[in-house]
Amino acid sequence: MQSVRSAWAGRTDGTAVTSPRPLGEGQPASRRKRPGADRLAPYVLIAPAVLIIVVLRLWPLVLGVNFSFTGDGDRNGTPVGVSNYLELFRDPVFRIALRNVGLLVLLLPVAVAIPGLLATFIFLRVPGHRLFRSVYFFPAVLSPVIIGAIFNLLLSADGPLNALLGAVGLEPVDWLGEPKLAIFTVVAVHIWATFGMALVVFLAGFATLDTTLLDAARSDGASTPQVIWHVIIPGLSRTIQFVFVTTMIGMLTSMFGLLFVMTAGGPGGSTYLPEYYIWIQQGQMNRPALASAASTVLFLVMLVVGLAQVGLLRRSLRED
Amino acid sequence: MRGTRWSGWLIAVPMTALAFATIYPMLFTTNVAMKTQRDYIIDRFSLSRSLQWDNLAGAWTTGGLARYFVNSLVVVAAAVAMLLLLGSMAGFALSHVRFRGSRALFLGILAALFIPFQVIMVPLARTMADSALIDTYPGLVLAYVAQFLPFTIYLMASYYSGIPKEIVDAARIDGNNLYGVYRRIMIPLGTPALLSIGILDALFCWNDVLIALLMMPSAEHRTLMVGVTTLRGQYSNDIPTFAAGVLIAAVPVLVVYLIFQRQIAEAVTAGSTKG
Repeated sequence: MQSVRSAWAGRTDGTAVTSPRPLGEGQPASRRKRPGADRLAPYVLIAPAVLIIVVLRLWPLVLGVNFSFTGDGDRNGTPVGVSNYLELFRDPVFRIALRNVGLLVLLLPVAVAIPGLLATFIFLRVPGHRLFRSVYFFPAVLSPVIIGAIFNLLLSADGPLNALLGAVGLEPVDWLGEPKLAIFTVVAVHIWATFGMALVVFLAGFATLDTTLLDAARSDGASTPQVIWHVIIPGLSRTIQFVFVTTMIGMLTSMFGLLFVMTAGGPGGSTYLPEYYIWIQQGQMNRPALASAASTVLFLVMLVVGLAQVGLLRRSLRED
Repeated sequence: MRGTRWSGWLIAVPMTALAFATIYPMLFTTNVAMKTQRDYIIDRFSLSRSLQWDNLAGAWTTGGLARYFVNSLVVVAAAVAMLLLLGSMAGFALSHVRFRGSRALFLGILAALFIPFQVIMVPLARTMADSALIDTYPGLVLAYVAQFLPFTIYLMASYYSGIPKEIVDAARIDGNNLYGVYRRIMIPLGTPALLSIGILDALFCWNDVLIALLMMPSAEHRTLMVGVTTLRGQYSNDIPTFAAGVLIAAVPVLVVYLIFQRQIAEAVTAGSTKG
């Protein structure tokens, strides 16, 4: 994760986190004997954290997969094979949720390109760049619940956005009521709310760019688009890959608040995502086993994304 | 943009428009929150002629936000304190001490980073219910700690690994055991990281709605964000009070952002993996 080093470059000496440096090494064993209590100390320090993570993060994952092969209601606890998964893929609402995941993947380049381009201009010191940076980042710290509530007002039939359309002579649009349009509206709000996050990651990446290369390109008479294309993008390839993965994870796991407040999955189930489906089946429909099956499917999707990220991490560590 | 000043200004125009679009929603909501209901119905866009603090008071008292605000404050404070304590302890052990199994433990914690809450929420709710922790403050605190601990440990470990070994060695020669090194070296030197990671953890917990909905079903235990989701139904005919409630929930975050902007950006770029 190269951004760790870039952000705290002043304090870190580049030691990789994965290779902890031993204490007491280099001192003759005869001069310093390690008392038993001190040998236990690292375990004491780490035990509470490990206990919580194992019991409340790792073990539930095993339980959940196991749970997805059992029944709901009358058949609670009895093994039912893959019937939950069959039901899941027959459920038109879950199929919409998966189709919407596909849509998110298609929109991913847009969600990465917008902050990337804005970060480039800020890095090139467009007039007012400092102000832009802090203003753009602001929505990223607001809860999706607050953002959803505000946009409910902005997007309402007689709200500001439709008033703006009316001012230029266009018909008002039912942003959240049209089944074909609603998911795009929600994704657009999500991008509006989170592009500041990716923006600061990009800017941290820019800070690691070799400025002599930029100056050389400049003095050779390269135009701004040429500098972006031939110097900045190649130099930032790792940051770009990193933002792709984190933006995808964000889209898959942090849109619940928006869906909950703005559409409740509607109209006609058209804005369902897997996370919202899991919530409805668990909390409203009392179908925990079916919800577990949906969780497992979501996890498989996330695993592919996560493995891609680990691969990136490993590659970036090797390059150093 | 040296040499191309005019093109720089040309780009600044749409970027200014975007900056306006970024803050307009907050401004609109603030303006609406200050209007009387009558003013809002007549013209929702004009600048409010009066400052209706009654709307804020209404959302705060009859809307129940006062109660939810305190709930959130208590839970977030407890969760962040626990996260920083456990995260710095584990981060120190993983970055500066070599012991049997340290590498495996580090990989296990990294793996936990990639388990989203949505994937484990069903069995977690059951485990919490079995231990009588559902609908209790300790239960929600524990759920937040479990959710954000891998992230906290990872960032603390990467920060601590930048503290030179020589400092630790010197403290050891002075007769400190590991706990002494943790207390006298790692806590004071780790303060900048503890501050920025603590703020980020606090934002995550404060802003969460899914975990709180799952863990705290009863109305009097609602957190502020869950409370905000109930406002729309409560005030469907009183939009100014609804907007006032949203404003109350947003203002603490706005204040924290204005004060700690640099620390937040630092923590985000150090990790960039949200939960």
